[in-house]
Amino acid sequence: MRPRQQFFLTLAMLCAAFGYAQDIKFGKITSEELEEKIYPNDSTAPAAVLYRDLDVRYHYNEATGFQVITAVHERIKIYDQEGFDYATIAQRLYQGKSKEESLSKLKGYTYNLVNGEVEKTKLKGSDTFSRDVNKYYKEETFTMPQVKEGSVIEYQYNVISPYSYSLDDIVLQYDIPIREQHIKIAIPEYYSFKTKMKGYLGINPSYGKESGKINFTTTTTTRGGMNPGGSTMRNNSVDYFINTTTFSMKEVPALEEEPFVNDMDNYRSVISYELQQVRFPGSAMEDFSTSWEKVVKTIYDSDNFGRQMKIDRYYKDVLPGLIADASSEKEKMAAVFKHVQEHMTWNSYNGYFTDKGVKEAYEEKSGNIADINLMLISMLRSAGIEANPVLVSTRDNGIPLFPTVDGFNYVIAAAEVDGARILLDAANSYTKPNLIRTPALNWDGKLVKEDGTILSVSLFPTRPSADIYNINVEMDAGGDISGKMRIVHTEYRAYGFRNSNNSLSEEEYLEDFENEQEGLEVVEYDVKNSKAVGKPVMENLEFIMENQANVAGDKIYFAPLFYHALTTNPFKREERNYPIDFNYPWQEKYMLNISIPEGFEISSYPESVKYALPNDTGSFIYRVGKISDNHLQVVADIKINRVVIPSMEYAVIKKFFKNIIEKEAEQVVLTKITSDEHTGSAAGGR
Amino acid sequence: MRLYLSLLLIGSCLYLQAQTSEYQSLLLKADLAENAHSIVRLEERIVNINALDEMTIEEKRVITVKNKHGNEQVMAYAGYDNSTKIKHIQAIIYDAYGKEIEKVKEKDFMDVSAVPGGTLYSDNRVKYLRYTPTQYPYTIEFTYELATKNTAFIPTWTFFHLFHQSIEKSHFKINYASPELKPILKELNLEGIEVERTENPGSIAFTATGIKAIKEEPFTPPTLEWMPMVQVRMESFQYEDYLGQMRDWKEVGAWMYNTILQGRDQLSDATLTQVRTLTKGKNDPVEKAKIIYDFVQRNTRYISVQVGIGGIQPISASEVDRLKYGDCKGLSNYTMALLAAVGVPAYYTHVEAGPEKIDFMEDFADLKQGNHVILAIPDESGYHWIDCTSQVHPFGFLGDFTDDRTVLVMKPEGGELTRTPVYRNEDNYQNTEADYTLDSQGNIIGNVEITTRGIQYDNHFTLENEAYDEQQKYYKKYWSYINNLSVTDIVMSNDKETIVFKEKVTLKAENYANQSGQLLFLNPNAFNRNTNVPDRVRNRKLPFQISRGYLDEDVFSIQLPPGFEIEAMPEFESIRNEFGEYEAQIEYDKTKHQLQYRRKLLVKEGSYEPAKYNTYREFRKKVARNDSAHLVLKKI
Repeated sequence: MRPRQQFFLTLAMLCAAFGYAQDIKFGKITSEELEEKIYPNDSTAPAAVLYRDLDVRYHYNEATGFQVITAVHERIKIYDQEGFDYATIAQRLYQGKSKEESLSKLKGYTYNLVNGEVEKTKLKGSDTFSRDVNKYYKEETFTMPQVKEGSVIEYQYNVISPYSYSLDDIVLQYDIPIREQHIKIAIPEYYSFKTKMKGYLGINPSYGKESGKINFTTTTTTRGGMNPGGSTMRNNSVDYFINTTTFSMKEVPALEEEPFVNDMDNYRSVISYELQQVRFPGSAMEDFSTSWEKVVKTIYDSDNFGRQMKIDRYYKDVLPGLIADASSEKEKMAAVFKHVQEHMTWNSYNGYFTDKGVKEAYEEKSGNIADINLMLISMLRSAGIEANPVLVSTRDNGIPLFPTVDGFNYVIAAAEVDGARILLDAANSYTKPNLIRTPALNWDGKLVKEDGTILSVSLFPTRPSADIYNINVEMDAGGDISGKMRIVHTEYRAYGFRNSNNSLSEEEYLEDFENEQEGLEVVEYDVKNSKAVGKPVMENLEFIMENQANVAGDKIYFAPLFYHALTTNPFKREERNYPIDFNYPWQEKYMLNISIPEGFEISSYPESVKYALPNDTGSFIYRVGKISDNHLQVVADIKINRVVIPSMEYAVIKKFFKNIIEKEAEQVVLTKITSDEHTGSAAGGR
Repeated sequence: MRLYLSLLLIGSCLYLQAQTSEYQSLLLKADLAENAHSIVRLEERIVNINALDEMTIEEKRVITVKNKHGNEQVMAYAGYDNSTKIKHIQAIIYDAYGKEIEKVKEKDFMDVSAVPGGTLYSDNRVKYLRYTPTQYPYTIEFTYELATKNTAFIPTWTFFHLFHQSIEKSHFKINYASPELKPILKELNLEGIEVERTENPGSIAFTATGIKAIKEEPFTPPTLEWMPMVQVRMESFQYEDYLGQMRDWKEVGAWMYNTILQGRDQLSDATLTQVRTLTKGKNDPVEKAKIIYDFVQRNTRYISVQVGIGGIQPISASEVDRLKYGDCKGLSNYTMALLAAVGVPAYYTHVEAGPEKIDFMEDFADLKQGNHVILAIPDESGYHWIDCTSQVHPFGFLGDFTDDRTVLVMKPEGGELTRTPVYRNEDNYQNTEADYTLDSQGNIIGNVEITTRGIQYDNHFTLENEAYDEQQKYYKKYWSYINNLSVTDIVMSNDKETIVFKEKVTLKAENYANQSGQLLFLNPNAFNRNTNVPDRVRNRKLPFQISRGYLDEDVFSIQLPPGFEIEAMPEFESIRNEFGEYEAQIEYDKTKHQLQYRRKLLVKEGSYEPAKYNTYREFRKKVARNDSAHLVLKKI
């Protein structure tokens, strides 16, 4: 089944068996480790993992069958007080209905250097705590004793899981650096898992083979139960192969937070295991997932997916009324979408499998993502529109690159109308055709049809989402401004506006608005289309704002975008490791007409420019022009056309914003009109 | 057709019937709906004190939720632990017509561990309702009953819970089984609301109606200072296995000292020897206390474990000694034991910690007040205070977590109320001095020295323990208005004796001054701009408070680029009013081609009536305007 892995087997065997494991033994702490003051490769690290060993293996127990034993061994150096948090360890354990995971063989020590001597303090059993987190998990927690700046802590324990069909994700990168780690996963030949690797670390697994033996006893009872000793016991054994994978890594950097990232955990290096098949000797093969086709079939065959799109009785009476007046396919689709959107409330749970089931969800008017969107698909189909589910992995769930059932956690609908494919997500009151909820804006989704067809569908919006400002400004000789402003929000900017402001009273909204706009006071306000989802939101307001210009002597200076000028760069770091993710293409455009105070003339104003980013990534247009002796016209237009920008282009993006800030800070100079035009220095230092 | 008709009839009957329900929410009283995200239609708590070790609390809350912000105001949850049991909990949800749409039973409540941050373990748990509303308005009726054997803490009844929530009717009743069990009550801030008190043998009750919703406003004084409420306490009480009396603070302190803290100060001989060696040859108790505090700060950390009586009783000194961690109680008790070992007396002290200053009430002694423990070390001049949960604070310096408030000191002879140190106005001092050079491109390069004392010290000194990279990030944020800032050197010194912190920063910034044609626009105040204006409030209702004052003084000298002359100088306005003072000046030295900028800002602490808020805003607006003034340089 895995030819490529098999080829490497023999080569890798030796190192897998003898490689590193002998190097670092539990309890052998060196004085260098204790004396170290900072982590040499990352002086900011509050703590570092000096050594980590993770060993995942299967163990056969005659009573319960295969168990998964994960042996954890970690040695951590604490550099400063912020690192004390890493001396508290929490291990979650799954609690099923009949079987549960457990923790055993916990052993831990804290090492300190006291007057040049190594002092060793043992972790006691009574220093560990267990609590129920929720229905499914409990948590074992312990914190190491005698932890100080400079301490080295070391602990090991086993997690025993009776769930041999599932392996936990293995995290390869922490929030602190790891100096050295060895991870070994040993799986009996009976189990076949697919591995999925995520993250930005270079990983070189090596593969090996070991042998295992199961010992078991068979009992044969002699017939005719009169004889109490009438059963015979026999010891048997079965030999099998164990496939091993090992990862040895040195100097794994800490994962660091960066702005404009869809979710840092997406970039953390992690290996996931997904079961594909299980075949025990003498038993039939149990197949789980191997290809996209199988994945889709598995999902479709579930009662919580395929069948949910076939149930139709619960809306039979409603549907005809909904589409009675629709004259086109498009109108039909819109009517059905609107009904589901208005009828249903999302209960804040994700998932591509229904939670309550569509019928019950419809009756209760609430459900999870699948309840809502599979219901929508079913209703669209009943209305004669071709509609199919699109499996999605939300932004915080990572990007599924390999066929996997677990990779998805969300589902939307794709309707085929007049030869166009339209994405629909009815789980929010302000979504619309081709505008799905923002967490679902994550690369590609998989459109899946009942006949097994699979298509990749880009989830990224193509239309830009814009905020467009039209402003008429009048300035007085004191530098105060007043005027009228119209703000138009489209697409995701309108969606965001509606979600955050529609439930506020006008007074509450205006207070927030004014407080964000640094000193702007709203005199008159109205908003249009705040509920009309198909249309852009339009705000109209009259405002006053004091001191928007520097008045000095016979001159007035001001930046012509006033408070709209971009003043801080969103990208402050020198460099960046992860792509910039803007969510959707966007535009911010300002158009101002400024009339200057009476008795002044325009002496100078900034030059117009146009900056373009390479590959049509984005552009900035800045135009200032004099339209009459006392009127200026200003246009500032920032566009970002690409959603995800690779980190290689970070420097260019940062520079782009730096240039915008500098340009928008440039000043207009007004001079008082005098009969004898003298320009003596107004400098009046005290 | 017939079928259709009859269905319709049944429907309308239900409709009519439902309309009469008390929980309909179509017709809400307008004055209660104003500014409210939710309306408490009725709330009722009945506390039954059956015996010193037997108390039950029955509670019912009916809340109509108007919009999505109201969902989080429902607060349908109940906490429990090993000694407090939930006897019953239920919620019923009604639609706008008052028709029942869902009933949630005990087993359908979420049941989770309630462990706050920083806590390793706690036996507290909470059951809460998770409900997805499908329409607004809707109404939830939430009822539960608790039973406990502890009577030391009887929850305070408040006639206010949250901003943007009104209360139609609020009822609080205490039943006590016998006259000895009669609790003591204290009514606070009830003036502004309509409330009726009824007292009968065996019971006391309060009923209030028509309490309007209050909008949240910035700079509001702590809610405890103005919230209408009834405080309740027992003079005799049971707490786990202990009996106690608290007629006054003296008794509370004595009970704590003799019962809860007794015998928890044992230390091993090795530790006793160790601390005695450390303080060998020292006679001054304060000097010894400093050595011990330093020892504790270097060797322990804060980890909290709350089990059973752990809510008020510290883990023993020997346990903390072994583990080298503990919570505020454990670490304070441990430090107290270490101090005793070297002959320095120290007192365990309860305090209500947090940025808001909340006092222990002089005339109302109970165990509920206080959420933190610090130590008071006496000498002739008064007390020296230490917080044993901090690994960094200087000896005797409390900072804004526990400053300026009434606290309870536990002494052998009983409890004593006293006040922690105050850091007032000028005490919270910051001095910023800078020398920088401007070039013809608008770039600046120079160095800045910031000196802080008092609460401003508290805001700055922890920076010392940050990594260099974090310090860099801090300055980028501290001077966020300087784009392209790069910090090239940082030197810090922390004088824990005099409690003064100094930061020396060398830096540069490209295009700090904006260049437009032949002109350069320079804001001389590069390093201490205060441009925050408090949020505008349209009709302020609540008084406002500046809880801590401060004084900033700044001197910057600026070397100007050759080939430029001054085109325009900013004009500054001096301000002096009840809120504080502001002054800025700029002078040009022609021979050196240098500017000298001086600035002073004093903001005074104080409490003011609502109408003054706008005047305060005007003051801060003027400061902001002066701090953003530019001067114009012109190329010759």
